[in-house]
Amino acid sequence: MARLTRRSVLRGSAALGATRLLAAPHIARAAVTTASVWFAQGFVQDEDVALRKAVADYEKASGNKIELSIIPFAPERQKIISAITSGVVPDMIDSNPAEILQIYGWQDRWVDVSDVVETQKAQFSETALQAAQAYNSVTKKRATYGVPLRAAVVPCHIWKSLVEKAGMKLEDIPKTWDAYFDFFKKVQDNLRKQGERKVYGLGFQVTANGVDPYNLFMAFLLAYGGQDIVTKDGKLHLDDPKVKQAAIKATAYLGGAYRDGYVPPSAINWNDADDNNAFHAKLMVMDVDGTLSTEVAVKDKHPEWYFNEIVTHGVPGYPNDNAGKPIPSIVGYTNGLIPKGAKNVTVAKEFLKYFIQPKVIGEFVELGLGRWLPVMPALAKSPFWQNPKDPHLKGYVQQGLLGATIPDYYVFNVAMAEVRTQHVWSLAMIDVAKDGGKPEAAIDKAFKRIEEIFAKYKMA
Amino acid sequence: MDSTSVVDVGRPAVRRGTLSQFLRGSLKGAEYTWAVAFVVPYIAVFVTFVAYPIVYGVWMGSEASLYRELFADPIYQTTVVNTVLYLALGVNVKMFLALLLSGFFMRPGWWTKLLLLIFVLPWAVPQVSTFVSIHWMLNGEWGFLNNALYKLFHIEGAHWLNDRWTALGAVIVSHIWKWTPFWTLILLAGRMAIPLEIRDTARVDGATGVRGFVYITFPLLANLYLICTLLSTVFLLGDFNTVYFVSGGGPANLTHVLGTLGIRNAFDIAQPRLGVAAVMSALPLVIPLVIVLMRKLRTAEVQL
Repeated sequence: MARLTRRSVLRGSAALGATRLLAAPHIARAAVTTASVWFAQGFVQDEDVALRKAVADYEKASGNKIELSIIPFAPERQKIISAITSGVVPDMIDSNPAEILQIYGWQDRWVDVSDVVETQKAQFSETALQAAQAYNSVTKKRATYGVPLRAAVVPCHIWKSLVEKAGMKLEDIPKTWDAYFDFFKKVQDNLRKQGERKVYGLGFQVTANGVDPYNLFMAFLLAYGGQDIVTKDGKLHLDDPKVKQAAIKATAYLGGAYRDGYVPPSAINWNDADDNNAFHAKLMVMDVDGTLSTEVAVKDKHPEWYFNEIVTHGVPGYPNDNAGKPIPSIVGYTNGLIPKGAKNVTVAKEFLKYFIQPKVIGEFVELGLGRWLPVMPALAKSPFWQNPKDPHLKGYVQQGLLGATIPDYYVFNVAMAEVRTQHVWSLAMIDVAKDGGKPEAAIDKAFKRIEEIFAKYKMA
Repeated sequence: MDSTSVVDVGRPAVRRGTLSQFLRGSLKGAEYTWAVAFVVPYIAVFVTFVAYPIVYGVWMGSEASLYRELFADPIYQTTVVNTVLYLALGVNVKMFLALLLSGFFMRPGWWTKLLLLIFVLPWAVPQVSTFVSIHWMLNGEWGFLNNALYKLFHIEGAHWLNDRWTALGAVIVSHIWKWTPFWTLILLAGRMAIPLEIRDTARVDGATGVRGFVYITFPLLANLYLICTLLSTVFLLGDFNTVYFVSGGGPANLTHVLGTLGIRNAFDIAQPRLGVAAVMSALPLVIPLVIVLMRKLRTAEVQL
């Protein structure tokens, strides 16, 4: 065995150092043109293929390199939070979950990307531009930290075959809110009379997991007139009687439907994908769920379901409020974000500028089968979205891009992001659904919690 | 030069010499260099992967305000009760069953060995897939258990995971099912280490059956049993998989234990410090457990 001495160790270290010095310029050059990008895995493979194509096209056009990591939805969220907490961050990430833009914007953790958005500002929808902003509690200002990449809205998904099996017709579905959902209770009653033991009318996510229950509750809150719960200035209005009444009605309807047996009992413990799975298993007649994931997931394997059996109620189809007035839809966005501390902000910004060119970003959502919406109204007019042979896309894009839309309320005040993650509305629904509580009491409890949360986020 | 500077210069020299001698021990020249070369990677790994994460975790969960927020959270209060129940039932029922079963598997015969092989399967198969299977099996609408109950007896089964107590029960039973084989094997090894002469002598003196167990076997196994119980308690305090995959912490966050609540707070509500605080709040229980465990390990060296 060779004798290891202090000198031999020093000689070896010097040689290693010299090698590093000689290689340094090459490593530095590579680093200058390389950006690391994290993105959430798609629900269908086509979404990932679309992303890889956009990245490959950019690399070819620019000569830069993108180190792309496509990560499953839940682990990516954990990875993003870990990265920002530790300070070891990639150059670009997608906003997963959407409210992470506002949560870490509040903490001054993002690079301002208004220069990137500016390149296509005229193209973006007004709602997308609003949702790309966040209030920064360090600078005491609102700024653009997100680059809108894609959007999603919450349509209704219906099994036409089950409605018809119950001896009813889609055309008979009422157009106003309560009557619309009551219709599916009748469908369930009729199916039960035919001996269907395990079919439920409504796929409400009365659960305290994932993002679905918050989206569901907010849809009901808006339908009952509670849209002023948080105004654009970030102020909370729980003392507004209209807001309180709307919250009570939403809790009563959603919790009551579960309590009365019109929602699958397991819904109380569902996670985000469980309602999709239950819908595909025909456990319920209809589901209120964000994106077109329900439809695109079966397009390849069950084209007959996609084209003939499943109906999407966007616009038209999505119910009006009880007075017959259309309800604006809350749109959630995936934004491109650059964390502070990113090593290659220049390439990350260049990539984002390339990515949001209408042709590129339009192709990105279309190759992903249209699960996500584009963020530029002009793109909704493409033959893909207006295809008369597709039963889902036209109504979906009308609802989420061309119709009346608003951003989610955490855009106005980050406290609403915590209301969403703490599942405050879910607990109110469950109080009524499972424990037989009164909606008024459940909402009093929820409002108290919401006030506590808002007290933590003081905006100038 | 005044007297003060003489003292100042002299002291570190004395300290350096002592430390160097202490580190070198009886090693000389290249022997010492080799020893350093071997130990440095271990120290680096220890500092990076053991010391640093612990110090970082303690630092992250060091603010008093985090604990005020945590203790005020009703979900945390429910979680503490769940954790205590999970520990008390999960550890003790499992260890007691393992003690009984280890006695059964001491019986001679090829069929006992075959049975033992089948018995250890739950422990041998991967955790996640089995817990996910249990979760699906207990689904109220289309789960295997309720379908079997309906097909065989026309009984509508309960919605096992919709109620706090049945869901927590499912978690505890799943844990016991998964880990009883492992502890049975450990206790079986302990029983086999009891010298035959002791058992034969006891038998001659009339200590057979229950008397043999009470007066001979259990006293000899007691230390091992206690160590296994303490170890199992420490393992269970950090358990995440069972709860996460069987009940998911639901319904309505009613079946969380500290491990799953920590992950929820850190990642679902994006408050990593609060997540660390939830896990750190178990330290007042973990530290005494580890101290007792260490003391018992020393005692065990001279017993069985």
